[in-house]
Amino acid sequence: MHDTADLERRGIPAMYVATVEFVDGADAQARALGFEHSPVYVEHPIQDRTDDEMTAIADAAFEAVVAQLVS
Amino acid sequence: MSEIERPPLPNGIVAFVKRDCPTCEVVAPVLRDLAKRVALTVYTQDDVAFPEGLEPVDDRALEMSWHWGIDAVPTLIRVEAGEERERALGWNREEWQQLTGVEALGDGLPDWRPGCGSLSLAPDRVDELRARFGGGVLRSRRIELADLEDEYEAMFERGWSDGLPLVPPTEQRVLAMLGGTKRAPDEIVAIVPPDLVPCTVEKVAVNAVMAGCKPEYLPVVLAAVTAVCTDEFNMHGLLATTMPTGPVLVVNGPIRRAIGMNSGMNVMGQGNRANSSIGRALQLVVRNVGGGRPGEVDRATHGNPGKLGFCFAEDEEGSPWQPLSVDLGAEPGRSTVTLFPGEGPRNIMDQISRDPESLARSFAACLRTLHHPKLLIAFDCLLAVGPEHARVFEQAGWSKAQLIGRLHELLQVPGSEFVRGAGGIAEGMPEQLKDVALPKFKPGGLLVVHCGSGAGLFSMMIGGWVAGDLGSKPVIQEIES
Amino acid sequence: MSTSHSTNAGAPARILVDPTSEREPASKPRLPRLATLAGKTVGLLDISKARGDIFLGRLEARLREVGAEVKRYTKPTFTKPAPVDLRHEIAVECDAVVEALAD
Repeated sequence: MHDTADLERRGIPAMYVATVEFVDGADAQARALGFEHSPVYVEHPIQDRTDDEMTAIADAAFEAVVAQLVS
Repeated sequence: MSEIERPPLPNGIVAFVKRDCPTCEVVAPVLRDLAKRVALTVYTQDDVAFPEGLEPVDDRALEMSWHWGIDAVPTLIRVEAGEERERALGWNREEWQQLTGVEALGDGLPDWRPGCGSLSLAPDRVDELRARFGGGVLRSRRIELADLEDEYEAMFERGWSDGLPLVPPTEQRVLAMLGGTKRAPDEIVAIVPPDLVPCTVEKVAVNAVMAGCKPEYLPVVLAAVTAVCTDEFNMHGLLATTMPTGPVLVVNGPIRRAIGMNSGMNVMGQGNRANSSIGRALQLVVRNVGGGRPGEVDRATHGNPGKLGFCFAEDEEGSPWQPLSVDLGAEPGRSTVTLFPGEGPRNIMDQISRDPESLARSFAACLRTLHHPKLLIAFDCLLAVGPEHARVFEQAGWSKAQLIGRLHELLQVPGSEFVRGAGGIAEGMPEQLKDVALPKFKPGGLLVVHCGSGAGLFSMMIGGWVAGDLGSKPVIQEIES
Repeated sequence: MSTSHSTNAGAPARILVDPTSEREPASKPRLPRLATLAGKTVGLLDISKARGDIFLGRLEARLREVGAEVKRYTKPTFTKPAPVDLRHEIAVECDAVVEALAD
């Protein structure tokens, strides 16, 4: 999240994708950074997924990702 | 967490527990055992009946837990002569035995077992506890930093900084800073431009902490904030200008010595905490409270390094003349700060003149070029005469008024020299003034202060922003403690 | 645990007193988003955790389908913020950025 906060400060709209495990921590961190963050959360876990499963997860998240890039 | 007014712990061994904690349940027998062998006090966070048989002290309001920074339960603390000597978090046989001095504790228990979170840190309790117990005097919003966040970077990221690192304004530091004044923290000091924000003593204190001030500097900062926010000083105009000017603070009176300000060697340079931090604190107030920042309302084309902070003390003791404060109407012996809307200082170098007339002419020749040799009247100037130069005038018996008078005479400029187009220079005063002589500075526009080291035949001139009703007038403010 | 105060989950947050006028929320609003992806350069920053590259590979394909240009970047490690020069490079080359995938 520090990276997206930094990129926003450089004038680049930024967003990030994390698993749902991150929800609470991310909100707290964003508040602490004084930063309005733009997350999209995907299902957990990730580590043991096959390539096909990852592709499906990306497809499922695509609309939400775009929504955080375009207004 | 403020340690300023926390209630004392009893001497002996002190334990903090809660029933809703498996480790606390497990160590309850250990506590009962300890109670027979040492002076033990147990504070309970959630159930006055727990632990059984120990008559625990009711800390369900979490006051003791809060003030003593209990992170986890069980926590064991050894207190001697009212002071904490050692503490242990969670159950750890070795640590508990060492701390209590009692052998063979917790027979049958594992060697160690981690504790649970203290209720005083529960997210749904923390805000209420802080408001009730911590820094109750302070009304400002609190900013919470994440565990891994570097507080110095966090302050940069939030836009609080003028480019240099800030001292983190913890509640403790702000409370300590407020000890530097008798004024109430919620007293309004001034309405600060450009956002026209009512600024309390507390907000000034927060920025003074960040600037690196000590509490004894706070009265100077408060006086400076008051002064710059007057209509006469016109801080908004001074901030918004494209000219490279900002507030310059000159301090007079006993406070200079009391807080260790510098009026001598390198007086306008780096190295003295009071000089550097007081000017900076004012700048931070305008930035953070008033909302005046470079690139936003502050449009200075180049600015100058003094905009970070430019504050110095007059050398009154070595001066042949009365102090600047008295020139401006203050009673002798009072502590004051004078605010001048100034640019960075420029050198006046004259290493040869030994008579006052020659030296005055040197001054005049240099002063003539302030901003531009052909621009007159509109700008004031603060002339800082160095001690070696001052001695030339002193030995000839020239008073300050005499020097200023002679400079005004020498700085009468004929229209033929200063009108637009004269000398092949388009800049200048309007052409209709070509038959008139004008002074470089308006009456009262040349202020003289004495400072610098005793070695060096230099004086300094600090040019002003636009003077008068359309611009800014120097303002003097008494410093109250 | 040791006898020192350790920073663990539930440790007290450090508190700073707000030096500002408090007229703005403590949170800075994010930048406006792009009007469209077509013709824009989207940076995909891989934080180097497992499977993130597959995820981003698919996002890249989908983004190209809607007319965006895509540039791929990788952080050396997910444990620290991206190096300054990488952030600079991204800021210079991209119109928007997606950072993924934190788990």
